[in-house]
Amino acid sequence: MDAVEKANAARQRRWTKDQKVGEGTYAVVYRGREAATGRRVAIKKLKVGQFKDGLDMSAIREVKYLRELRHPNVIELLDVFSSKTNLNLVLEFLDSELEAIIKDRTLVFLPADIKSWIAMTFRGLEYCHRNFVLHRDLKPNNLLIASDGQLKLADFGLARDFADPGYKMTCQVITRWYRPPELLFGSRYYSTAVDIWSVGCIFAELMLRTPYLPGESDMDQLKTIFRALGTPAEEDWPVRPPRTASDDTLADVHALQGHTKLPDYVPVGQFPKTPLRDLFTAASADTLNLLGKCLVYEPRKRISAKEALNHPYFSALPYPSHPSKLPKCAAQLASAKVLEEVNGNVDPVGQGPGVKAAPPKRAKRKLSDDDISRNIARKLDFS
Amino acid sequence: MSGASRSNVGGWLRGTTIRKGATPSTTRSATPQVQSTSSTVFGGGVKDASGRTSEFFSMDDQCPVCKSDRYLNPKLRLLVSSCYHKMCESCIDRLFTLGPAPCPICNKILRKLAFIPQTFEDLVVEKEVAVRRKIAKEFNKRREDFPDLRSYNDYLEEVEDITFNLINDIDIPQTEARIAAYRKENASLIERNLQREEAYAQALKEHEEAEKRERQLRADELRRAEEEERDAREGERRALIDTLAQSDADAGRLVARSKAEAQKRAAARTSAAAHAVQASSALLLRSRAAQGAAVPDVPHVAIQDDWYAYEDMFTLRPSYFDPASDAVRRDREGIMRAGGYRVEEAWERALRSAVAGLDLPPLVGLAAGQGDGDVVMASV
Repeated sequence: MDAVEKANAARQRRWTKDQKVGEGTYAVVYRGREAATGRRVAIKKLKVGQFKDGLDMSAIREVKYLRELRHPNVIELLDVFSSKTNLNLVLEFLDSELEAIIKDRTLVFLPADIKSWIAMTFRGLEYCHRNFVLHRDLKPNNLLIASDGQLKLADFGLARDFADPGYKMTCQVITRWYRPPELLFGSRYYSTAVDIWSVGCIFAELMLRTPYLPGESDMDQLKTIFRALGTPAEEDWPVRPPRTASDDTLADVHALQGHTKLPDYVPVGQFPKTPLRDLFTAASADTLNLLGKCLVYEPRKRISAKEALNHPYFSALPYPSHPSKLPKCAAQLASAKVLEEVNGNVDPVGQGPGVKAAPPKRAKRKLSDDDISRNIARKLDFS
Repeated sequence: MSGASRSNVGGWLRGTTIRKGATPSTTRSATPQVQSTSSTVFGGGVKDASGRTSEFFSMDDQCPVCKSDRYLNPKLRLLVSSCYHKMCESCIDRLFTLGPAPCPICNKILRKLAFIPQTFEDLVVEKEVAVRRKIAKEFNKRREDFPDLRSYNDYLEEVEDITFNLINDIDIPQTEARIAAYRKENASLIERNLQREEAYAQALKEHEEAEKRERQLRADELRRAEEEERDAREGERRALIDTLAQSDADAGRLVARSKAEAQKRAAARTSAAAHAVQASSALLLRSRAAQGAAVPDVPHVAIQDDWYAYEDMFTLRPSYFDPASDAVRRDREGIMRAGGYRVEEAWERALRSAVAGLDLPPLVGLAAGQGDGDVVMASV
């Protein structure tokens, strides 16, 4: 066993794997514990074997960026180790996600609750952006809620650092309902503003308790957006800044070209602008102002995470709810109770290395049968 | 809720609630409707929990100035001046419409708008309540603002002293000076405590709202259950009639069996419904209310970590000589700009990365030959 294998084995021994809690397209998530302290963790086992070209891109992205980021509002990557051909990410354990809470109709959201969630989202996002990381997959599903109520950005499988000038980025990112129009128009050069649009959609969803812009296809998504916010005119979303003296060398034909020059631009019809007030009847003026600034068509004019955190919406009364007071969904409360019981009855230290101790049952029996027969054979060997 | 039904809630408070412009209610024929004869709306006075002013009202009211009484003028309404003398609305209109004038009783200069409705029968109480209210607004220190109980008690003693002086008109200028000195000394603390109280009131209000919602929910639930029960009972009755019509078994036995079944079902339903309603409401109320009191909401702080971005180590210029990004900046098609891409961010990143390592001391303890061995990752 060489040094690297030894180090990996040592890491693996730090964590025990319990039952499976979920399965995604490229990973299985297990509940687990830190062997030494009994701290709850989630272990994400990435299915590596099925990809011909080595490790899946999103796995690399997730590890790469989570290793760099540490913030109360970003999920923490505790460890990475490999077992056989799989790669295991040890993440902090989080009870539920915002989507489940939004869907739980028995919960009542106070304006202060929404403010608290959005503030935590912006804080986590601001941290990513200031470290030059784009999340590119913000949606309620990926905003996880810890047992103390803290909201954490998770799933960095589509994250990317800012591109160097001239490098193209893919526009096939972000779940459709939360995808900003510049990506729908196929822009390959974009910025942090894409994440802000997603936060705007989440903000609206928290108020409406139903997805704000649920398009059925990419084409329909644009139509849905324009129906809600009005079709942008050329001057709403210009390509060129207003001409200044230093711009004289630039060709005049570009003086006022709009987003219509984006690669995948297609006209989807003219819709009138309706004020946000019509849909969000109960929201305060501050709320609508911030929401409006998150959903500006021109990416450069969209509010940044840092500016958003300094928006008067957050400092106005009511104060954002303390995270521990935020509504929790029933499943979360139930799981908390069950876990409390488990915590009381089971000694987590005595469980041994779960990853190795839980091979499929059939294989185990077969193995032990073999062992027994071999042992008998050895006893009968008189040589 | 009519004014008459509220009038004796307090016991000691013999007053009626007056709302100008409200339609006179038919239930209060015993007491004459107190109406204002003046066009001025007099504010102030002591408000009850619902924010309305309870006004003292008696059949023996008499204006000390014009001597008109309730017998002669059923619409008589007495108001209290800032020197705590009563007079009727018409006297106030007559004396003070042309501007500040001396009080006909004590000669203090009074203004029309400083008259307030009377809440308490005894004007000394009226004055004490007003003074205490005013004082409490500024002298709002709490126990936790003092290092020990002794100093807190001294402070309370001082407040009581000032209040007593103001109520009984002892050393007024001196007392006013004391208040002013206190105000100057504790301006920030007063402000903070005010905000705290506001936040507390807000929490209280939220709690109340949650409770109200809860009650509403429970009522809806009950109504729904009742309806269901009625429907079920109706269905059973119809079923029984059908069976009686079609089957040729003994009618008495059929009726008895269906009755027993219905009873069993009803019992199960009520117990289940009661249980569900209780459980859900109790859970919601408990969680929200318990937390509301325990953890106060804190004002928003934009960025909570102290993160150093090396801002003082470089200044970003509007433009750089950068052939690599030249094409991007010229942006012939304008697609970079439309997508929101900023070359400045790339520049900032490059600069920050460049200066970030400047402070780091070189690694010590690494011998020259050791560097080319196994690369060992730092532990988490």
